[in-house]
Amino acid sequence: MATSRLKARLRGLTPWSALLPLAATVLVAYLGTALWSLWISVSNSRTFPGTEFVGLSQYERLFDNDRWQHALYNLGIYGVLFIAACMVIGFLLAVFIDQKVRGEGVLRVAFLYPYAMSFVATGLVWQWVLNPESGLQNAMQQLGWQGFTFDWIIDQDKVIYTVVIASVWQASGLVMALMLAGLRGIDVEIWKAAQLDGVPAWRVYLSVVLPMMGPTLATVFVLLSTAVVKAFDVVVAMTQGGPGTASDLPAKFIMDHLFGRANLALASAGAMTMLLTVLVIVAPLLYLRSRKKEGGHA
Amino acid sequence: MKKNGKRSHFTPARIGVYGFLLFSAAFFLAPLYIMLTTSFKSMDEIRLGQIFSLPHTLTFDAWRLAWSEACTGVACEGVRAGFWNSVRIAVPSTVLPILIGALNGYCLSFWRPRGANWLFGVLMLGAFIPLQVMIYPLVKLEAALGMYSSLTGIVVVHIIFSMPVMTLLFRNYYAAIPMELFKAARIDGGGFWRIFVQLMLPMSVPIVIVAAIMQITGVWNDYILGLVFAGRENLPMTVQLNNVINTTTGERLYNVNMAATMLTSAVPLLVYLVSGRWFVRGITAGAVKG
Amino acid sequence: MSRLKRTLVAIALLAGGAAQAQAPKAEVIHWWTSGGESAAVKTLADAYRAQGGVWVDTAVSLGEQARAVAINRIVGGNPPTAAQFNISKQFFDIVDQGLLNNVDEVANRDGWANFLPETVLNVIRVKGHFYAAPVDIHMPTWIWYSKAAFKKAGITAEPKNFDELFAALDKLKAAGLVPLAHGGQPWQDNTVFSAVLANVGGRDLYLKIFRDRDPAAIKSEEFKKVLLTFKRLHGYIDKGSPGRNWNDATAMLITGKAGVQIMGDWAKGEFNQAKQEAGRDFGCIAGFGPKSPYVIQGDVMVFPRSTDPQVIKAQKLLASVITAPATQVAFSIKKGSVPIRTDVDASKMDICAQAGLNIMKDKTRQVGNGEAYMTPDQNGALQDLMTAYWNRDIPVEKVQKDLLNALRD
Repeated sequence: MATSRLKARLRGLTPWSALLPLAATVLVAYLGTALWSLWISVSNSRTFPGTEFVGLSQYERLFDNDRWQHALYNLGIYGVLFIAACMVIGFLLAVFIDQKVRGEGVLRVAFLYPYAMSFVATGLVWQWVLNPESGLQNAMQQLGWQGFTFDWIIDQDKVIYTVVIASVWQASGLVMALMLAGLRGIDVEIWKAAQLDGVPAWRVYLSVVLPMMGPTLATVFVLLSTAVVKAFDVVVAMTQGGPGTASDLPAKFIMDHLFGRANLALASAGAMTMLLTVLVIVAPLLYLRSRKKEGGHA
Repeated sequence: MKKNGKRSHFTPARIGVYGFLLFSAAFFLAPLYIMLTTSFKSMDEIRLGQIFSLPHTLTFDAWRLAWSEACTGVACEGVRAGFWNSVRIAVPSTVLPILIGALNGYCLSFWRPRGANWLFGVLMLGAFIPLQVMIYPLVKLEAALGMYSSLTGIVVVHIIFSMPVMTLLFRNYYAAIPMELFKAARIDGGGFWRIFVQLMLPMSVPIVIVAAIMQITGVWNDYILGLVFAGRENLPMTVQLNNVINTTTGERLYNVNMAATMLTSAVPLLVYLVSGRWFVRGITAGAVKG
Repeated sequence: MSRLKRTLVAIALLAGGAAQAQAPKAEVIHWWTSGGESAAVKTLADAYRAQGGVWVDTAVSLGEQARAVAINRIVGGNPPTAAQFNISKQFFDIVDQGLLNNVDEVANRDGWANFLPETVLNVIRVKGHFYAAPVDIHMPTWIWYSKAAFKKAGITAEPKNFDELFAALDKLKAAGLVPLAHGGQPWQDNTVFSAVLANVGGRDLYLKIFRDRDPAAIKSEEFKKVLLTFKRLHGYIDKGSPGRNWNDATAMLITGKAGVQIMGDWAKGEFNQAKQEAGRDFGCIAGFGPKSPYVIQGDVMVFPRSTDPQVIKAQKLLASVITAPATQVAFSIKKGSVPIRTDVDASKMDICAQAGLNIMKDKTRQVGNGEAYMTPDQNGALQDLMTAYWNRDIPVEKVQKDLLNALRD
């Protein structure tokens, strides 16, 4: 009947209409502002968008800038260490907490609370702790351990590691929560089967559980990656980019120029550069993944 | 997960588990210890710079000041002033993004309309753009739509910025659910919305909890978006918090700052505590067999 | 509620509302959020209210953020009545876009051109129109010292020039104290640099570098000497300096652990909090020599564009109230700043502020800070270079060359 065919057609449209918020957000908010940013990055904008096209001169200026280059270098170190540490620690915490320990609720909050607190204050606390005069080094020396040094935060080359430490402290709890949710979605039967077969627990985790948590791991990896590229609060609160500009990160460079230096164009050029880098790294991976998944399910 | 229901023995493995967890907890709790002790010290004592020491004399003044008397401008009413604004912003900004994220994830994972994956791809790329870069165009957009500086304005902005994460969470969660389940439901006569509401949502409890944790934390602690988009009458608690803590050339009362931070984070922390009941296992297990 | 009651209530509300509509209402965005700053901005609010105005407060911490909010509000079509900026070129772009109202009427009527320092006039007067009302003047390069620390190190007299300062620093080091208490943040590193440029380079070189960005001056031997003196000071700070907040450095003076700090006049706030008094517990040196430059920085209010007569009325009232002598004195006492006009009764201000005000009366000693002369971008580039030089071992010639490039346009 015509009406049932019409109904079927309409029903076919339902998934599309359900995705309208997504489509609107992506096209208008994200794609739109990305294109706008691209335009700004090739203009002479200062506090306000400019009207002159200046070609790639903003990008030239960007890459000529010592501070930007150092920020990119820092990002590489920070990114690798932060993601690796968070995933390993988060996974271990999730696994250990999953062992039917008593006080699981309290432990979970102990690991998660850093995520709840504003970095403005916790960053300062970390600065105090890592400062050789007022922090850990001083305390250890006062306890009698004279040779103890932990002054990375004032060292030009090592300060970025302190930023990693504070960031890992803040994010590992969330990774743990995500991994725990993933772990607990795994069929109980798997454990029982493994026990019957006499397989040692760590083996089960590594060879069976971890692969089964693929989607969770992928989620965590993407979340952490976005956090890395946008990392900015922690630097402002802990080191202000210092000593000097040694612990600068691209997002802080961009922010400084966006607001403080009233240089919309340079900030946009920085943002576009970061986006392009991510695109270049991620696009081939996504393409491969989508080809693989043609047969399978998502 | 090695013992099912049997009493735990003091095996080396067991000791190892507790040992690791307690040691980790100590590392994680150390800054909290410093924040707490600082909040109970007087400024004179803080100036001495002994961050690990317990307070010589316990003072609760900092907490009282932080809640209701700390200066945040002409007004000196502490962080309390923004509490209800934060609630009014947080509730819709948590519920709506989670619903939309679940819907997107469900649609992308099971129905997979053509080209939707491209939308998802661009969305994920968008997650890498620092949100401050997007503020200017969004201000102009919202102003054109007449919702700038309003509660609607800030909720819409939160929906926009949380969509990548929420969609990712649900999409990947649903990816782990077998397709057979979905196909069986369709054969049984379920339509788009029925399957979503009656089958998928109930199965999504663990991920909804995680999404709620992330979204409430993100929204409650959000500062810059609330500052720019919410309008003067709706400024969240974080604005008061930042006004208490941050200053360029004013004096810094560290004890008040620490107390204010902990007060502000009380709501997300409460959520974490309460969420424990739902971190249970076996939600999907039964469904697969069934 | 009965109909009569409802009608009466409605009339009352209308009447009240109408009365409100007449009182000039000013929403002011500013970044005065700490305790002392709050007391100061209250003096402005009180003065405004005394003139029949209604002050609506929108405080946003940190200058950069407050200014960003103000600009976004202007762009979004929901501007405040007034917004705080610095005595700088920060708001020039906004003027260019035609997004600010001018306050020529108030400026001409109250005779601003007569009593404002030239540095301030050059910034608030753009293309012949007055676009900002000055609120306060701060001096960022005061040299503070702890009397207790000096006594312990055996320093009897205040240093009168940089050589004597270095001698004093050596004595402090020998006595086991921290000679120079410093917070290693880029803006603080720059404060020290400005102090050295002002005192060692003198007013002429200072202006040639900051105002004229003269390549010959940047390459000169005198400037090299300034840079080397700046770097030499780095040898007198303690290891824990990087990242430290300025208040924590002042705390070192307060507790007698350190001798000297180079910081703005807002440092008095910390000393006062700890119940320490100028002249008794700590000393303040504005500069070395009778002709040392007095660096002027400070805050102004700008007035976003509006054609609404109510708003314009509120803006004019605000501009006039803020610059009135009585308001200026009341504000300065609470803020630790110096009034924008020297024709005020300074007897209630502390001795450091009075000294500052006296020096400011001498027009030949007034100079602006970096941001009064350079765009925020140029100032930022200078800051990046100076903080890098402070923290790393870079040959001084390279610093001069990099500075030349950074300040070129």
